[in-house]
Amino acid sequence: MQNNITLDKLKKGERAIIHSFRSNELPAKFYELGFTPGTTIQLKHIAPLQGPICVNIIQQDSLIAIRKKEANLILITKI
Amino acid sequence: MKRKTIALLGNPNVGKTSLFNRLTKLNQKVGNYPGVTVDKRIGTLKANAKEYRIIDLPGTYTLFPNSLDEEVVFNILSNQANDDFPDLTVVVTEPSSINRGVVLYQQIRELGLPAIFVINMVDEIEQKGLHIDYTALENYLQTKVFKTNARSGDGIDQLIQNFDIELKPYFGAVDLPQKYRNALEDAKQLFPLATEYLTWQYLAQDNISSLPLEKRSALQTIRESHRLDTQELQKDESISRHDTIASDLMSIVAKKENKRLSTTGKIDNLLIHPVLGYIIFFGLLFIIFQAIYSWAGPLMDSIDTLFAFLADSTAAALPEGPLSALVVNGVIAGIGGIVIFLPQIAILFLFISIMEETGYMSRVVFLMDRWLKPFGLNGKSVIPLMSGAACAIPAVMSARNIENPKERLLTILVTPFMTCSARLPIYIVIIGLVIPDDTFWGFNLQGITLFGMYILGILGALLSALVLNKIIKSIRKSFLIFELPTYKAPDWKNVLNTVWEKSSGFLIGAGKIILAISIILWVLGNFGPNDRFSNPQPYIAEANPEFSQDEIDNEITAYKTEYSYLGYLGRGIEPMIRPLGYDWKVGIGLLASFAAREVFVGTMAVVYSLGEEVDIEDEGQRQTLFERMKGEVNRNTGKPTYNFATGISLLLFYAFAMQCMATIGVVKRETGSWKWTLIQTGFMTGLAYLVALVAYQLLK
Ligand SMILES: Nc1nc2c(ncn2[C@@H]2O[C@H](COP(=O)(O)OP(=O)(O)OP(=O)(O)O)[C@@H](O)[C@H]2O)c(=O)[nH]1
Ligand SMILES: [Mg+2]
Repeated sequence: MQNNITLDKLKKGERAIIHSFRSNELPAKFYELGFTPGTTIQLKHIAPLQGPICVNIIQQDSLIAIRKKEANLILITKI
Repeated sequence: MKRKTIALLGNPNVGKTSLFNRLTKLNQKVGNYPGVTVDKRIGTLKANAKEYRIIDLPGTYTLFPNSLDEEVVFNILSNQANDDFPDLTVVVTEPSSINRGVVLYQQIRELGLPAIFVINMVDEIEQKGLHIDYTALENYLQTKVFKTNARSGDGIDQLIQNFDIELKPYFGAVDLPQKYRNALEDAKQLFPLATEYLTWQYLAQDNISSLPLEKRSALQTIRESHRLDTQELQKDESISRHDTIASDLMSIVAKKENKRLSTTGKIDNLLIHPVLGYIIFFGLLFIIFQAIYSWAGPLMDSIDTLFAFLADSTAAALPEGPLSALVVNGVIAGIGGIVIFLPQIAILFLFISIMEETGYMSRVVFLMDRWLKPFGLNGKSVIPLMSGAACAIPAVMSARNIENPKERLLTILVTPFMTCSARLPIYIVIIGLVIPDDTFWGFNLQGITLFGMYILGILGALLSALVLNKIIKSIRKSFLIFELPTYKAPDWKNVLNTVWEKSSGFLIGAGKIILAISIILWVLGNFGPNDRFSNPQPYIAEANPEFSQDEIDNEITAYKTEYSYLGYLGRGIEPMIRPLGYDWKVGIGLLASFAAREVFVGTMAVVYSLGEEVDIEDEGQRQTLFERMKGEVNRNTGKPTYNFATGISLLLFYAFAMQCMATIGVVKRETGSWKWTLIQTGFMTGLAYLVALVAYQLLK
């Protein structure tokens, strides 16, 4: 379990698999856009000074931007 | 026979509007960022020897609405009584996100609606490294699958030929978790006629505006007694669907390396680089600003010449008199005063539409979110704010895809502060009158002032957001999630279409108001309520016993204007605006501007030319509006009407005041509340008055 970190800690270029969520506060739209357990993602870009991050959801080939605050609710396993 | 209704449904940015345009030959605005279409659009198509109604819907990822534009979709598709309820739904997808398209497709079929499946952007399949087994996909979806390219038109005919397709009933339903069974059974009692899935949708949404109140509260009771949280229900459905679809499609869609994504990644390394990204963005803004002022120059000169010629020849053709003055000084000058800004407006729209088409706009959202958050706004507010520089009306509407109600409201409330193109004519005329044409450190002073006015608009928007952010209470948490589309070369046909539509729309809209206002002003200025207007000589003689007959005759025009209906009106409001440094004639301009700012220049043209005969033979007698305004003297102060203090005061007033009926109308419609509309109008106009007052009193 020690491999589990939150998504906002991921560094540019690193890949991970979504493991679970820290709370149910995450809006349903996150699941709709593909943040579901078991999904492989890669961190693509980080905006400066606690700005949003851009994640590639590998399976769907889509680039999704979210804020650090919500990324902090998503638990991932680095690969 | 009833016309068949066909709805285009799909994720944002898959090309629904482009398809719609192909089908209906109507040109709707398209753009390569999610959320371009924010309301349904309806067009017709004649084919197969009949007429179809085609409906273009806003993009959505599921039927559960997260924002207002998505609510439009659910309301249409969930209610058979809705006028726009489709006979056939076309679910549109693009190759790399077929999974998400299937989610929507299944939801639609489970609601009981017939649907076909379209894979648009087939031209990109190769580059995206995909291989699709269409027969397997058709079997899996139990419907026909079509391939289209909305840019070139390939596959469209095939699609149209199948609009009367008879589909077999659909089998299959999402695996809803067992723990919701009981609640769902309870809910079914409320909707005996609805499909199970529709009932589930009702159960899993908080506030369904299309349902009667008693059903809504009954649903709420069920949710409470089973301790259900709607977000949780939606999440469970999403995950369940997502997992099944992913494994089902594994054998149908094969993936290799996506070249588009890697190209996009390389461009993004530059365009959303933590430092370079901002430099490029602000550089781009600077270039846009430059382009507006330097490229437009020659065009504006030729338009000016054209209208001068038009005015001259009209004046020559019409008999001298007040009517000729109306046409030449009112209508032609007023419309000329708008047309001359058309090149600048077109260039602005050109840039915005290129930014949308290429996909750059979403990157701007990414870059700006962090900087707008402290003001209570959202990265997505960038789009309304930037398009507000062109016109507040579409800008206010584009706030619809902001999910958080408070952030959306704030964005709507502050967007009209942005310097829209209608303010440009006023700024340029007044700056020309009161700011010297000198250079300061190599920069043109008038140019700097104009740039300052744009900055002022941005500051006005941000600072009022800050203030309103403290006042408005938030009911929901703020979050941000959006898709960055892959970059595309702009489709120039689309770009030019947008530019053409927006510019001609602006011209026609403004032209109508200018025409109407010129006529009203002319009538008010050429008639008076009493003797002082119709027979002024005795009054002038009485007030100025020392006047000779000649002097009295000279006074007549001015006296009549003052005692016309217009004069009474202007002098009626004069006490209110005198502290700002304006006289009653400027007051008329202000008053007329509350219909729409762009009429100011035309209004002043009518007001200053009242009673004047247009004599084109005498070059010396003819004055341009500009010279006339320069020569005007404020009889209260004895100083020129347009001096430095009043000029600055006017600029500030126009920067902040809410002077646009159309915007007020849109804000009312978009917020659905008179309260906020009036607060906004009051707030902006009050601020304008205050700032103009302070500026004038300090500078005079
Ligand atoms: N290469 C390619 N591009 C396309 C095709 N169809 C549409 N596009 C482009 O895709 C972008 C999005 O198109 P829109 O028609 O605005 O998409 P939409 O689905 O209506 O988007 P929303 O209204 O935001 O939901 C535009 O830049 C179009 O020019 C296609 O078949 N091939
Ligand atoms: Mg659209």
